[in-house]
Amino acid sequence: MTINLELRDVRKSYGGLVAVDDVSLAVPEGTIFGLLGPNGSGKTSTIRMIMDITAPDSGEILLFGRPRRREDLRRVGYLPEERGLYPKMTVMDQLVFLGEIRGLKRRELLPEITRWLERVQLGGRGASKVEELSKGNQQKIQLIGTVLHKPDLLILDEPFSGLDPLNQELFRELLLEYRQQGKSVILSTHGMELAERLCDSICLISQGRAILTGELRAIKRRLGGNSYRLVGDKDVEAALDRLRALPEVEQAIIQNGHVGVAKLLLRPDADGADVLRRIVDFVRVHEFRSEEPELEQIFLKAVRDAA
Amino acid sequence: MRLETIVVVAKREYLQRIRSKGFWIGTLILPLFVGSITVLPTLFATKQTTRQTLVVVDETGKVAPELKAQPQEKDGKKSKSEFVFQFEPPAPDLKAQRATLDRRVLDGTIDAWLWIAQDALTSGEVEYHAKSVSKVFSQDALGDLVSASVQRVRLRDAGYDPERVSALSKAVDLKTERVSAEGSKKEVALAGAAFGYILFFMLYITLAIWGQQVMQGVLEEKSSRVIEVIVSAVQPFELMMGKLTGICLVGLTQFTIWLTTFAVLSLPGIVAAIATLPAGVTLPTLTPLMVLNFAFLFVLGFFIFSTFYAAIGASFNSVQEAQQVAGVAITFLVIPVFLMFRIINDPSSTFAVIMSLIPIFTPLLMTLRIALEMPPLWQILLGYALTLGFIWCAVWVCARIYRVGILMYGKKPTFQELWKWMRYSG
Repeated sequence: MTINLELRDVRKSYGGLVAVDDVSLAVPEGTIFGLLGPNGSGKTSTIRMIMDITAPDSGEILLFGRPRRREDLRRVGYLPEERGLYPKMTVMDQLVFLGEIRGLKRRELLPEITRWLERVQLGGRGASKVEELSKGNQQKIQLIGTVLHKPDLLILDEPFSGLDPLNQELFRELLLEYRQQGKSVILSTHGMELAERLCDSICLISQGRAILTGELRAIKRRLGGNSYRLVGDKDVEAALDRLRALPEVEQAIIQNGHVGVAKLLLRPDADGADVLRRIVDFVRVHEFRSEEPELEQIFLKAVRDAA
Repeated sequence: MRLETIVVVAKREYLQRIRSKGFWIGTLILPLFVGSITVLPTLFATKQTTRQTLVVVDETGKVAPELKAQPQEKDGKKSKSEFVFQFEPPAPDLKAQRATLDRRVLDGTIDAWLWIAQDALTSGEVEYHAKSVSKVFSQDALGDLVSASVQRVRLRDAGYDPERVSALSKAVDLKTERVSAEGSKKEVALAGAAFGYILFFMLYITLAIWGQQVMQGVLEEKSSRVIEVIVSAVQPFELMMGKLTGICLVGLTQFTIWLTTFAVLSLPGIVAAIATLPAGVTLPTLTPLMVLNFAFLFVLGFFIFSTFYAAIGASFNSVQEAQQVAGVAITFLVIPVFLMFRIINDPSSTFAVIMSLIPIFTPLLMTLRIALEMPPLWQILLGYALTLGFIWCAVWVCARIYRVGILMYGKKPTFQELWKWMRYSG
């Protein structure tokens, strides 16, 4: 398997602050790779170094199997966190320009752009100025600009922020298509649920350090042996502190958007039945069962363990 | 550095600007404005003749006949102000006569009245009464007529023949001719200065406008965050050079349009139609060599100022912030304006030569000198060489600041930080 991108002990500090602390990772072809972590953890700093926007203080960056060269960046599609297009340019001119700076010819670009615009339902908007488009539509244009030159590696920094569900679906489709074609995608996000649904491999970054790297399934198997789902009355929220106080419980969180549902991560040696016996003392339990842990749980645990 | 990338960036800059309405409005407004303040007044002033009816009361009894005999034309051409004199003898009651004349002015039967008092020949004063005393041109013409008449009376009284005296005291005209490679041509001195003046300011305006445009363009790329996408495919240096080249061509397009307009307007036939020039006199004309020099000087001037504007734009986050520092760049553009008058006075003085060889002044001052009189070739070439050397240094410095600045957001950088950016290697 070819490795499209590899980082070896990459480090970057701004003044006294270490933004990226000896991060190493490898992105093989045909995978969607999640670069995960909370805001300010060093994801964007890492990506900016990959894109040669800033230079690392130390470490190595390999692109397509060799030390990164400027011209190799043309095989990369990059969607920055801060979206940006020339507001006064027409959609068509804008996309042609983005293609041309990567060495493509106008002649070959035009049919490709038309095809893309139709696909994202903006077929008739080629002559519109970018500033006349809605935010969501501008984001679609930016995405087209990112993939127009058929890059072998796609780097998307928080691509789903501010997108409505319909557009999120469009982005998702595209990512899966990319994987199918044997290309790689790096997806930087703080949305764990999303990463969980899409990513094959992940790198968890916290305070500039990669605290967990590898295939998502393997990580789950390794770290999530003792995870339970607890369904009770509304009093589950109120009982959260008592749940956490139990010696066998490593972590207790409320599942997003579900009233009365908690996720528990027990110590590896703890027995679920013992724990349940204690819980029934203060929660009216409807359901208590073992399950695969969620990425969010793993993440929280890993952050705590690393600290 | 890839040339084709620079071309792609330059093409975008050029087409985006050339296609905008703003460019064409800005480009056409200047010739229209200059045209309207120069051509139209001359058009009205030269073609219109004013006729005034005046009552002349002559207490001396000697001036009136002379005034009647004065020819109302000059150099064979009819004067633009025509006067119809009605001579009236002084009445016994002078006060009453004056009051009547005032009334006649007010009710419009006459335009004005002249009172030549008894002592007019010695005091040299003649009264002029009219509703409006701001008709400068016609009053001047009238004054000339009356003075000439009074002078003739005085000469005659002193025993001289006025005809003979005027023949003997005829003034001498300096027929100014400009010596150039194409041979001498008659040229009005003032027109020569105006020619230099116009070209100087044409260049000045284009440099100021398009330098600002570079700065705003860079700031726009920064604030719209489009820069991050661009630099993943284009090196900052390529981007800067592409931007400068594109906008330089836009400025050159505008400059060419203005030069062409100017050249067409100064064609002999057209000049004759809009302004009355003495026979055999031509205005300075643009030669192809001059145009070539002006275009090259524009490019040099553009690169001098715009590289700085690019670096300034890259270093700051908003036009307001950048404007303060941009003032420094403007200063170097303004200094030649102060030097201009001395150079117009003597375009080949040591002062003019030295000033026009200082790279940052060369574009404007050399343009001025070429417009006034073609400087020796070695001076032009030396000016070009020094300026190109200066631009090379400026690009080197500014590209470094630009490279770091365009990707920096947040606070305003200090001068120490700019210095540090400049010394980043690689």
